[in-house]
Amino acid sequence: MKSLSARLLLSVSLLLLVFFGATIVVLDIAFRKTGEQAQRHILDGHLMSLLAAADPNDDDVLQLPPDLPEPRFGNPGSGLYGELRDVRGNTIWRSRSMLGVDLPRTEPPTQGASHYAEVTLEDGTELMSLSLSVAWEMPDGDLEPHTFSVAESLDAYYAQIATFRRQLLGWFTAVAIVMLFSISLVMRSLLQPLRQIEREITEIEEGRRQALSANLPSELQGVTRNVNLLIGNERARSERYMHTLDNLAHSLKTPLAAVRSVIAEHPQSELGKRVETQVDRMNDIVRYQLRKPASYVAEGFGLTSVAVEKELRRLVEGLAKVYKDKSPDIVLNVARGVVFRGDRGDFLELAGNLLDNACKWCQSRVELHLRSAAGSGFELVVADDGPGIAEDLAGILLERGIRLDESAPGHGIGLAVVRDIAASYGGEVRIGRSALGGTEVTVTTARQSSA
Amino acid sequence: MRLLVIEDDETLRESLCRQLSEQGFGVERAGDGREGLYYALEYPVDLAIVDLGLPEVSGLDLIRQVREKGKTWPILVLTARDRWQDKVDGLAAGADDYVVKPFHFEEVLARVNALLRRSGGWASPTLSAGPVSLDTTRQELSVEGQVVELTGFEYRIIEHLMMRAGEVISKAELTDRLYDQDFERDSNVIEVFIGRLRKKMDPENRIKPIETLRGRGYRFALERNQSGQ
Repeated sequence: MKSLSARLLLSVSLLLLVFFGATIVVLDIAFRKTGEQAQRHILDGHLMSLLAAADPNDDDVLQLPPDLPEPRFGNPGSGLYGELRDVRGNTIWRSRSMLGVDLPRTEPPTQGASHYAEVTLEDGTELMSLSLSVAWEMPDGDLEPHTFSVAESLDAYYAQIATFRRQLLGWFTAVAIVMLFSISLVMRSLLQPLRQIEREITEIEEGRRQALSANLPSELQGVTRNVNLLIGNERARSERYMHTLDNLAHSLKTPLAAVRSVIAEHPQSELGKRVETQVDRMNDIVRYQLRKPASYVAEGFGLTSVAVEKELRRLVEGLAKVYKDKSPDIVLNVARGVVFRGDRGDFLELAGNLLDNACKWCQSRVELHLRSAAGSGFELVVADDGPGIAEDLAGILLERGIRLDESAPGHGIGLAVVRDIAASYGGEVRIGRSALGGTEVTVTTARQSSA
Repeated sequence: MRLLVIEDDETLRESLCRQLSEQGFGVERAGDGREGLYYALEYPVDLAIVDLGLPEVSGLDLIRQVREKGKTWPILVLTARDRWQDKVDGLAAGADDYVVKPFHFEEVLARVNALLRRSGGWASPTLSAGPVSLDTTRQELSVEGQVVELTGFEYRIIEHLMMRAGEVISKAELTDRLYDQDFERDSNVIEVFIGRLRKKMDPENRIKPIETLRGRGYRFALERNQSGQ
């Protein structure tokens, strides 16, 4: 089971079932015992009233008057029955209510003892009976044993128990429902901070937030502190890594430039030519490896939204200086609301390489279109009115470091870098022919960061 | 033309300066940002080549400060940091072009010439005015289609005058831009070179390309041909 609240609700439900079940059973037993006890007291009372009313007649036979104080003895089928037997077990008196009813015979108790029993009539009615054996002192002074019996139907008692059980179950069910409902409400409010953390981590991944907020409950402060520490470390680590790479580039390239410059002073030297070839190779390796997308390193941590339009304008202003002789007409067409969530350097690398290539090859016009694509990605199209690239060569161009025309240095590496960055954002690069007549490069990204 | 090279790697700096001098440029050099800023603000400069990764004052800060002080001469950035982020930052700070290390000297030279030409208001690498035409890439002067043989000094004078055709250039400025910092200066030398140039370009004194303005200096007097722009 994945959900904490479902887990809690299930365990609470089980616990309630067990506790309430046990409580219901105990209460039921207690109620029945009390009821039975009360029933016995009532039977005792009836028996006593029979004993008080009994009187021997002229034939020295114990008799009961026809009108007893308890009128139910006189009503047939009233559910209260009385019977008197002599020592041989012959019935000498039975109440009028016993008309058509035969009480099953029970073993008469020993002298002076009373005996409770539950008996069932032929029609299925359950009764509780009380029998008492007494030695009745007759007028002649003899002690004659007699058995007095009273029995009362248990229907009323059972009805009472049923009502009690119904009420008990009803109340407990209501209490259980209210409890489960309150617990789920409490759970919701308890889990709220966890949901907040989840939301904030998503925001961090999407670059809309730098760290988890501090206003979380004290129990979660430790977790948030550690997560923030982890994010901070991760960010610092990638920054350090980028920094190291950058320094490596700087410290390698300046000596390479020095070697190349010194060689250039001796253009005829054979050794110089051989060293120059190796310098070229080293430079290509360094350039390709060091321009890997930053998102490879950052892995989604601390990526921020890039203000694409502002960056593109800066880029175009810069390129306008570099290509001042050509003064190409660079048209920016950025759809409203397009954002790039990722590394600013990555975005500049994508747009910079493509725009630079386009400016290099164009006659007079370069167009850049940027719009949102399916999901949270975008589509970047850079088109020029230059000579264009033959279709079969387009694929080769995307391979690392291959240059189709040595007169425009760096062309191939730029596109290979664009391809790598696009791939790290789950996208791809297509090269085709633009409506302007030249090359059109389309970069699509499927998502905004590599996380 | 006087160039300022600010680069902290000594081997690279010296090699670059030697090659630029061979091309006829007057070259100042600085090994860190502070020194570079001093030269940039205090000495006459036509173009600066600035490494971005400088000690003391970073290349970007140097460029910003130079621009804040109102210097408009072109700046060519040398950068080892190959990312567009750095290029855009450099261009936005006030640089005019960039070369990525390790560069070929020819690339630097081509950019330097293009920037100088552009700062003089010329769009094409061949400066042409009337019958005079100066090919800055081949460093060749021709008048009415005939190539005129020039010495290094002569070329630098006519290049400087033509780059800023129409402007009055003082003798002092010409001296400044033609000699290295510690060179012995003699203003008479300029007069001699101007005289020789006039003879070579206009032996019959017909087209009068260089005008002398008494007490003020010299001016390249021919109208620019607009076709090249």
